[in-house]
Amino acid sequence: MVDLARVQKELHECNRDVQVSGINVTLKGDSLTHLIGTIPGPIGTPYEGGTFKIDITLTDGYPFEPPKMKFATKVWHPNISSQSGAICLDILKDQWSPALTLKTALLSIQALLSAPEPDDPQDAVVAQQYLRDHQTFVGTARYWTETFAKTSTLAADEKIQKLVEMGFPEAQVRSTLEATGWDENMALEKLLSS
Amino acid sequence: MVSDSTPSASIPVASSNPKDFARKKRANRSAKLKQWKLDARREQWLSQVKNKGLKEEVNVRRNQGPATNIGNERDQFIQKLEIKPRGEEDHEVNNDSINHYSDLDLNSNSPISHSSSIMERNDSGANFAGSSSSSISSCSGSGGCCSGSLSEEDDHGDDDDCMDDWEAVADALAATDQKLEQHHPGSDSSRERDENLHLSSRADVSSGITENDTTKKSEHRGLASSHPVSFNAWRPDDAFRPQILPNLSKQFNFPMNSERHCHGGAVWGCKRLSVPTSCPICCEDLDFTDTSFLPCTCGFVLCLFCHKRILEEDGRCPGCRKQYNHEPVEGEATLDGGSLKFQLARSCSMISRS
Repeated sequence: MVDLARVQKELHECNRDVQVSGINVTLKGDSLTHLIGTIPGPIGTPYEGGTFKIDITLTDGYPFEPPKMKFATKVWHPNISSQSGAICLDILKDQWSPALTLKTALLSIQALLSAPEPDDPQDAVVAQQYLRDHQTFVGTARYWTETFAKTSTLAADEKIQKLVEMGFPEAQVRSTLEATGWDENMALEKLLSS
Repeated sequence: MVSDSTPSASIPVASSNPKDFARKKRANRSAKLKQWKLDARREQWLSQVKNKGLKEEVNVRRNQGPATNIGNERDQFIQKLEIKPRGEEDHEVNNDSINHYSDLDLNSNSPISHSSSIMERNDSGANFAGSSSSSISSCSGSGGCCSGSLSEEDDHGDDDDCMDDWEAVADALAATDQKLEQHHPGSDSSRERDENLHLSSRADVSSGITENDTTKKSEHRGLASSHPVSFNAWRPDDAFRPQILPNLSKQFNFPMNSERHCHGGAVWGCKRLSVPTSCPICCEDLDFTDTSFLPCTCGFVLCLFCHKRILEEDGRCPGCRKQYNHEPVEGEATLDGGSLKFQLARSCSMISRS
């Protein structure tokens, strides 16, 4: 049984200083056990400018057990699986403490983005690249950030342009893309059905 | 002559009007009676003033003496007003301040001095001209314009109309009635009212000259002692400020003090100050048992329920991740002993209850 009082308090306190921390936690559905956290990419890293979504699932043992967290946004990072988004972080495993909160956990993940641990990798390929070809790693990480973690003006404009060329009005295309999280195919389906 | 004329003049008056009023007042101090009496007195005073405005008439009346006009109150007033001041003038001037200070309520002397000052101005008034003019100037706000001796007297009459403090006037009048044998009656009440008016009109303005102002000041002291209490808030640096009142400056200083504690008291002080009101784990309110329960040397406070839950799992302090060393060991090692203790404790509690 999840401690609902504590989760609600955490959500309240986290959303109170969202302007300062940039860390946001919202409900994914109706349940308090399924949440979405968002963290901004740390400045001075290849992840700068991106907004990374983290899928949070609270187990019954929370807060005595760590929350289950994984990246919903694709990230190129030695300690984050480029396939599943699984995070290799000690506080989300054996070093979890009931005194930690969702916000502190997300802050730790943000810190992990700026300080990778290639010696304890989650994704071996990325860790190899990080250690042997750092330049390429930075380039790839930046590209992934641009591609997946940003609704960059460039990518958005391309998508809008594509759909407008199909004959949909631009305003409608933009709003539909925003509603579908800039997923081209979903937006197209929606536009066709509407 | 003066000492002789005064009792002869005052006795008939005392027997006729004011004493009756005094008795009535003692029985029933209703505002109506007071007002009635005051109005009567005022009329007397006004008419007397009008009569007195003409010097010859006044002189004539004075020459007539008290015996001729016993039935007529108004004339009696005039006589007493004119006769008495003369006799009192000497000691009035000398004892002025003393009398005023001593007779705050009765005011038997101060009105006389006032009245004498006005009355005497007609014949020997240079001595008191300053005092009367000063009093009139202070009254002029409520009265009318002043021009000549007559209008000045009318001014006092107008002031009587404006008199609000009936209670004070009534007290003064009662005192005057009792003192009728010694002093002249009619002018007292009006003068009394003047005095009171001076007080009320001068409550804020304190510009003093001459003897009238000394009387006012002496009476002011009586009022002033109550005034600051009634409508002044205490300043933080006020000596009379009660100690019980919370001091904002102290509260303001408190964080600084706590910081100092934090620096000096190292870990303990800091932890003590940041004792949470609710459990950081389950967010339930901490009771006294919880707050006084320190399971770890790091000072991390949590409720007993969460502590028990942690002991069931890995048994590490949430604050510092160190093992809660003694409890789990104790529990495992002396499992039987622990249960025995538990039973004992239970039986003890039952005994104490029955």
